[in-house]
Amino acid sequence: MVEIRMHGRGGQGAVIASQILAAALFKEGKYVQAFPAFGVERRGAPVTAFLRMDDRKIWLKSEIYEPDHVMVLDAGLIETVDVTAGLKDGGWVIINSEKPPGEFRLSSKYRVATVDASSIAIRHRLGSRTAPIVNTAILGAFARSTGLVGIDAVVEAVKNAVPTNKEANARATREAYDGTRV
Amino acid sequence: MAPGSKAGWRLDEKITFASERDMPPLAVSLGTMLVNKTGTWRYMRPVYEDKTPPCNHACPAGEKIQGYLELSKAGEFGRAWELIMEDNPLPSVCGRVCYHPCEQACNRSNFDEPLAIHHVERFLGDYGLRKNLKVKREAARSERVAVVGAGPAGLSCAYHLARKGYAVTIYEAQPVAGGMLAVGIPRYRLPRDILEKEIANICSLGVEIKTGIRMGLDIALDDLSGHQAVFIATGQHQSTRLDIPGQEARGVIYGLDLLRDLNLGRSVEMGRRVAVIGGGNTAMDAARSAVRRGAEVTVVYRRSREEMPAIPEEIQEAEEEGIQFLFLSAPKRVLVKNAAVGGLECLKMRLGEPDKSGRRRPIPVDGTEFGLDVDTIIGAIGQEADLSFLPSGIALDRGGIQVDEHGVTARPGTFSGGDVATGAGTVTAAIGSGKKAALAIHSYLSGERMEEAFEPQVVAYEEINLDYFEPAARQAMPRRQITERLGGFVEVNLGYTEAATLTEAQRCFSCGVCNHCDTCWLFCPDVAIAKLDHRDYLINYDYCKGCGVCVEECPRSAISMEEEMRWKK
Amino acid sequence: MEKVIIGNYAVSYGAQLARVQVIAAYPITPQTQIVEKLAEMCASGELNARFIPVESEHSAMASTIGAAATGARAFTATSSQGLALMHEMIHWAAASRLPIVMANVNRALGPGWSIWADQNDSLSQRDTGWLQFYCESNQEVLDTVLQGYRIAEQVMLPVMINLDGFLLSHTSEPVDIPDQALVDRYLPLARRDLILDPDDPHSFGGLVNPEHYMEMRYKMHQAQLQSKEVAREADAQFKAIFGRSYGSIEGYRLEGAELALVTSGTIASTSRVAVDRLREQGEKVGLLKIRMFRPFPGEEVGELLGGFKKVAVIDRNISFGHGGIFCQELKSALYNLLKRPQVYGYIAGLGGRDVTPQTILDIAELTACRDVPPAEADWIGVKV
Repeated sequence: MVEIRMHGRGGQGAVIASQILAAALFKEGKYVQAFPAFGVERRGAPVTAFLRMDDRKIWLKSEIYEPDHVMVLDAGLIETVDVTAGLKDGGWVIINSEKPPGEFRLSSKYRVATVDASSIAIRHRLGSRTAPIVNTAILGAFARSTGLVGIDAVVEAVKNAVPTNKEANARATREAYDGTRV
Repeated sequence: MAPGSKAGWRLDEKITFASERDMPPLAVSLGTMLVNKTGTWRYMRPVYEDKTPPCNHACPAGEKIQGYLELSKAGEFGRAWELIMEDNPLPSVCGRVCYHPCEQACNRSNFDEPLAIHHVERFLGDYGLRKNLKVKREAARSERVAVVGAGPAGLSCAYHLARKGYAVTIYEAQPVAGGMLAVGIPRYRLPRDILEKEIANICSLGVEIKTGIRMGLDIALDDLSGHQAVFIATGQHQSTRLDIPGQEARGVIYGLDLLRDLNLGRSVEMGRRVAVIGGGNTAMDAARSAVRRGAEVTVVYRRSREEMPAIPEEIQEAEEEGIQFLFLSAPKRVLVKNAAVGGLECLKMRLGEPDKSGRRRPIPVDGTEFGLDVDTIIGAIGQEADLSFLPSGIALDRGGIQVDEHGVTARPGTFSGGDVATGAGTVTAAIGSGKKAALAIHSYLSGERMEEAFEPQVVAYEEINLDYFEPAARQAMPRRQITERLGGFVEVNLGYTEAATLTEAQRCFSCGVCNHCDTCWLFCPDVAIAKLDHRDYLINYDYCKGCGVCVEECPRSAISMEEEMRWKK
Repeated sequence: MEKVIIGNYAVSYGAQLARVQVIAAYPITPQTQIVEKLAEMCASGELNARFIPVESEHSAMASTIGAAATGARAFTATSSQGLALMHEMIHWAAASRLPIVMANVNRALGPGWSIWADQNDSLSQRDTGWLQFYCESNQEVLDTVLQGYRIAEQVMLPVMINLDGFLLSHTSEPVDIPDQALVDRYLPLARRDLILDPDDPHSFGGLVNPEHYMEMRYKMHQAQLQSKEVAREADAQFKAIFGRSYGSIEGYRLEGAELALVTSGTIASTSRVAVDRLREQGEKVGLLKIRMFRPFPGEEVGELLGGFKKVAVIDRNISFGHGGIFCQELKSALYNLLKRPQVYGYIAGLGGRDVTPQTILDIAELTACRDVPPAEADWIGVKV
């Protein structure tokens, strides 16, 4: 079983991202489970979403304390939230940032990938310039860095999940896949 | 059929299940609810029952006051006028001169102020005249009726008979028709044209009025044999004499004579300082007329203000016009100088025990004589009927003609009403007696039975559901300024506008008469009241449980609970 | 068709597939998406039902009762305070013998204010005459909505389907959304007797005198008892058509076990993981999941647990002054057995406190090292 944790801010779409990723993995034959941190959400406040994937039915119904990988939808969160808490050795930390991975001073136990999802989202007019919706883009980086899911399955899941701008979201996902730096 | 349901189930059947297996799974009526007529739970049932509003009950002319107020609320002034005209041919007149006992009876007076019925009536009467509205007449009949006296009683009797199709001729002694309305009431209270128009309306029904024909002098009662019935309504046109020493002096005159002369445009001899003796409406009319002729007027009355029989508004208006009042004072003798009035000696009075009239009896106080410096004394202490023209066979009673409640005299075919019979002294009572006599004459001539009188159920204030009403001020009657009034005989009261009439009519509780307010319909918890044609209501007694909520809530006591008569099939 | 959906949508899809005709509901966290989804379906025409917006849960249940009384298939959903507000009408629905199905998202009651998972809301409605089911997966939620109508419409009692707040309501899982045609076969709409019908008016809910009230209650009780067999049949039919079944209770790796863990809802789900680990370690521990709480499947529980030495009941609820409610029910079901196990009571996960596999392992260990059950239930993880 692989457990993934996503950090974002209310309004960035972290919870939806977890659900899209779950759908993509399910499409590829995995058993999945996605859930938000249970509680109330406020726009801009730090939010967490979770994902479990396995080859067989997942019965576990508790929170994730020791994720295999984490995704950070807003690099600024690293200053305020311990995004690597409980992260297993060798786990990926996938960060939305224009900086190269080496600039993040994280423990050498982890692998770091970055993608400028904000710029990609703005280019594809997803959300606004000040609050781009980066959730579909960051999933491309997840596919690229972890290799746990194929980009085609992710793109298809994105198209199924978003109500509008299906093609723009799909292109953003692919662009992020191509632009991921590891 | 559903488990547990049962065909042919009867309401009065007590059902006990032997086993739960026979019972339905839930609490449900066994048969259809169409069978379960919950109306059978009732002990008493509500019925729509219009009662008598106190105003209607108090009106001597029997006007359906609540009815025309209700129509006025809706602005249906024409229909309101027609409704008055069913009972009273002189609404414009009565709206001015009636002492309005309806308002004293009005339940609203316990709440805030009584309805200004009088003012609404005047508006409606004037509305009818302005719009030239006419009443309908039934097919002509062959019988002829003679009426003696064209006062309110005679006019009323003639009007009601004419509407029924009778040919009516009125014989009037005065040169004008109207009786006291024409010769007794001053024009500032009742403009002549108003009276003439309403009389013209009566004549338009075929009534003929022959003026200047004095009964007993120009014609005898027996000369009217060409008529199948006679109605005598000659009124009371003689003033009661003062009966004090010096009464023969020049300058001692009588109220009725003064008012008649003024009304007929005859010359009147009157000084500058006038004493009016009496406290009734004639006294007020005489005093206020004298003031308009430039005199200084003092009213001398032997009781106190509370006992004055005049209409309170009249007294108030007289005071406004500068008339002095000497209460608890009675004339003792006229001080005569050169055969003319040189002054009036009076005596102070005190009030003793109540007399037959219910008012406290005045008792002279010895040694309290005082003088009034006056040159004219107007007697207005009462009036009497002239009965000298009456043939034998007509019985008399207390200075008038003896009649029963329908105006029937002791002589077959002869009827009587108004002051000469009843001595009631008011215009509306005269109008009412004329109407009653007309019904009696119709019964006499046609053989039709008269409707039996019933004991009216008059709605009391306590029966009104006050939760539904809010205080609302009575609309004021606009009046002329004092200076304008004293300059002549112009009418004092100006009358309601249409807007004021609408507002005032809205205040009516509609005591005891359903006015389709929907309260019962809305409140019925069993939805057992249906609205027919969006107006009338029908209680479905199959489902009315007799809870009485409709009766309790009805704002105007127009629904009653009555005992069920179960044993009557 | 399989879709990854949250538990709340599993409820909505279940109601849609059941072709409910009237929905009257008031939103409350964490139930809101059930109502939102159904309202969307009604608006878009995907579901041909009348959606009645109401001003409170009391009205929601009252409207649902009214709709069901006319013979319509009626649905509502609520949670926690909303369920509490419905209480009077909940009795009414059952005693009116109306086949309503309601989803209740288990949530703690305030104060202190809490929006997280806890069973005290639904268990407060234990004695109202409703059937109660507790689910551990989104698939089970959807399937139980369908089974619920099938059972309700046979025994004429309402059915409450419980799912843990957030742990199911907001968690996405793969769910097989059955074919409408198959559901229609499983759940045909039929005209019922004793309905509000203007052409044959009856009065409902009237006075029942002491001569008959007891019999009416006896019949309700009989219907509850009868529903055990009806539920068994409904589950078997469901398996025949859809290939899935749940049972009123389910034993998991009880063969050869010495300790049986007993629990419900998502704690049962997580307990499977813990049991697997214990078995891997050679510990003889199994699980009994209680899915149907009312009627209580006492005989089946007795059959499965009669031979055990120790039983540990984990309750995400508390009957103040006595202990866990499933534990009490279980004890009373076992009491008259000749050979009955010791019953250990544990309180865990109240107000959304996370119950992890470790929590279960701790409970198993605590039970194993004791000889006699303590007088009072243990509160696991409580900071005392």
